[in-house]
Amino acid sequence: MASIALNNLVKEFGETRVLHSIDLDIKDGEFVVFVGPSGCGKSTTLRMVAGLESVSSGEIRIGDREVSGLAPKDRGISMVFQDYALYPHMTVRKNLGFGLKVSGTPAAEITQKVDEAAKMLGLEQLLDRKPKQLSGGQRQRVAMGRAIVRSPEVYLFDEPLSNLDAKLRTQMRSEIKRLHKKVRNTIIYVTHDQIEAMTMADRIVVMRGGHIEQVGTPSELFKSPANVFVATFIGSPPMAMVDGEIVKDGASPMFQAANGPLLPIPARLRDKVKVGQKVFYGIRSDSFSPVGHSLPRAGEVHQMSCTVDHVEPLGAETLISVALGNSTVLSKMFNPTEVDVDETRAFELELDACYLFDKGTEQSLDL
Amino acid sequence: MNDIYKPPLWPMLLIGVVSLIWVLPLIGIIMTSIRPEGETLKGWWNIEEFTLTLEAWREVWVNYPLWDALWNSIKIAGLSSLGSILLAPMGAYAFAFLNFPGKKVTFLLLVNAFVIPNQILIIPLFTLWRNVGLIDNIFSVIIPFVALSMAWAVFLVRNYLVDFPRSLIDAAHIDGCGHVRTFWSVVLPNALTPMAAVGILQFMWTWNSLMLPMLFLRENIPLPVLLTKIKGTYEPNWDQVAVATIITSVIPLLIFLYFQKYFAAGASNQSGQKG
Ligand SMILES: Nc1ncnc2c1ncn2[C@@H]1O[C@H](COP(=O)(O)OP(=O)(O)OP(=O)(O)O)[C@@H](O)[C@H]1O
Ligand SMILES: [Mg+2]
Repeated sequence: MASIALNNLVKEFGETRVLHSIDLDIKDGEFVVFVGPSGCGKSTTLRMVAGLESVSSGEIRIGDREVSGLAPKDRGISMVFQDYALYPHMTVRKNLGFGLKVSGTPAAEITQKVDEAAKMLGLEQLLDRKPKQLSGGQRQRVAMGRAIVRSPEVYLFDEPLSNLDAKLRTQMRSEIKRLHKKVRNTIIYVTHDQIEAMTMADRIVVMRGGHIEQVGTPSELFKSPANVFVATFIGSPPMAMVDGEIVKDGASPMFQAANGPLLPIPARLRDKVKVGQKVFYGIRSDSFSPVGHSLPRAGEVHQMSCTVDHVEPLGAETLISVALGNSTVLSKMFNPTEVDVDETRAFELELDACYLFDKGTEQSLDL
Repeated sequence: MNDIYKPPLWPMLLIGVVSLIWVLPLIGIIMTSIRPEGETLKGWWNIEEFTLTLEAWREVWVNYPLWDALWNSIKIAGLSSLGSILLAPMGAYAFAFLNFPGKKVTFLLLVNAFVIPNQILIIPLFTLWRNVGLIDNIFSVIIPFVALSMAWAVFLVRNYLVDFPRSLIDAAHIDGCGHVRTFWSVVLPNALTPMAAVGILQFMWTWNSLMLPMLFLRENIPLPVLLTKIKGTYEPNWDQVAVATIITSVIPLLIFLYFQKYFAAGASNQSGQKG
């Protein structure tokens, strides 16, 4: 079992720096998901932990060892690749056992471990097939099996589900989760799908452009995003950002949407804003609903009337876009009834579930 | 409307004519080999007289060391091909997947050796072989054959490996392979196509080559060199030359027929990815 620590980790390809001083501590047995847009350096970080990519500066510790100088096989890791990387010329059995064979494990032990892993993943019937005789989902399972067989301390997954169709992906998601519950090894899992991250992770690491934007549990990231990027990346549909500034209205400060209405500021933030400050007002669709079609609200609620721009019925609920000044905000209508475009209705906004971000720094004012 | 589509006639004719042009010399050689030399002196197509005889087939085995030459040819072409098949992928692996200083320059130098004519090498090589006592040893031709093939063979295999799935190599490293094991257990088994190509090209080239064996070998001569001896100074021996020619060409033909399936196999056996 092993914890992982990345200290000041930097990666440069020639002149270009693709990772800027990454610091991260992963606890033993933790399931950590790296998430972020394409090209942000998730795979590069993972491959550096695996030992497939050299370290430009900084250190990587697995357990109590500094591993940057070690070959992949000496790091106690195994990895599952996006394209599975099964050896085409070997049967499933050979694919599963290859790592053990290379490390000089006795044949009887290999057979036993391979059979065990095959049973765990339901691959018994397929052991004598070649990879090209398998379906995508089966290949994925073999790739997982190959990682499991070697019983490593750390599993590294690089977008292992992105080649599967939606249904299979959901299924494999829970299977991986279950596997983790069983073996309790440390897992780093890379994806650019925030739903995958939310559903599987103990902790999520949100990356952008070679930096870590925020680290936290799924609910921490959802409830208190540190900045505009995390707020719009986590949660679906994404949080709407209303452009505007803080104005004085009588005693209390208010938010003036650009070319739009005046909104009250969430109570917890009233002391933290300055008059004249340019901010984004962050609204999630769940906390903004037509009156009579919202969730029960515990805290302060602001009512206003808005004109419907666009309607998207989803069955169990309906998404309504309305314009607040220059910005578009999505509203979720629970127990939906018929809504017409251009109709003007009363909406209610749960203030405690709203966020303010400084427009210059894009940082949350909650911090 | 209810006419069945009829393909036009002219492609058939064209193909027929072209095939005939290809096949004619072959027919000529066979005809020459099965008739007494006297009958074919005016041209093998001249059939005023036609006597079927296997005299030349018998005589050439008796008069010349055809078996030895055949065996020499097989050894020379076989070992040269084996050398290229094994060495070219190693070079190609290094150029495709390893990083070492001077990689680009070395590769350019290697590939440019392709344009150096063999003739330049003859004299220095001859001196070298004489000094180390390798004259009349088949390795005096096998070594330069393998060395000369590296230029195009490494290039050919490298171009194939550049598209080799990188993740397979990563997976091998994760599974604990060093470069040698990765090359041997993962890359080679999946690079049969370019290896077969290298093998066939190298076999054809070395089987038919005349110059180096003629210069470096005395007794251990391969078939093409023997051919030049059958055609004596005073007797043309056309019938026996024809027989030896047939024997010389039949082996590469068989080899080609056997290995061509590897060309067709192509990239379909490449990766585990769905595709
Ligand atoms: N071998 C390389 N040479 C040069 N630049 C590279 C190399 N590998 C990756 N990069 C660059 O490093 C950056 C991060 O790449 P990385 O593969 O880690 O992204 P990613 O977050 O995994 O993206 P994706 O979601 O598309 O897989 C990218 O800008 C990429 O262009
Ligand atoms: Mg990636």
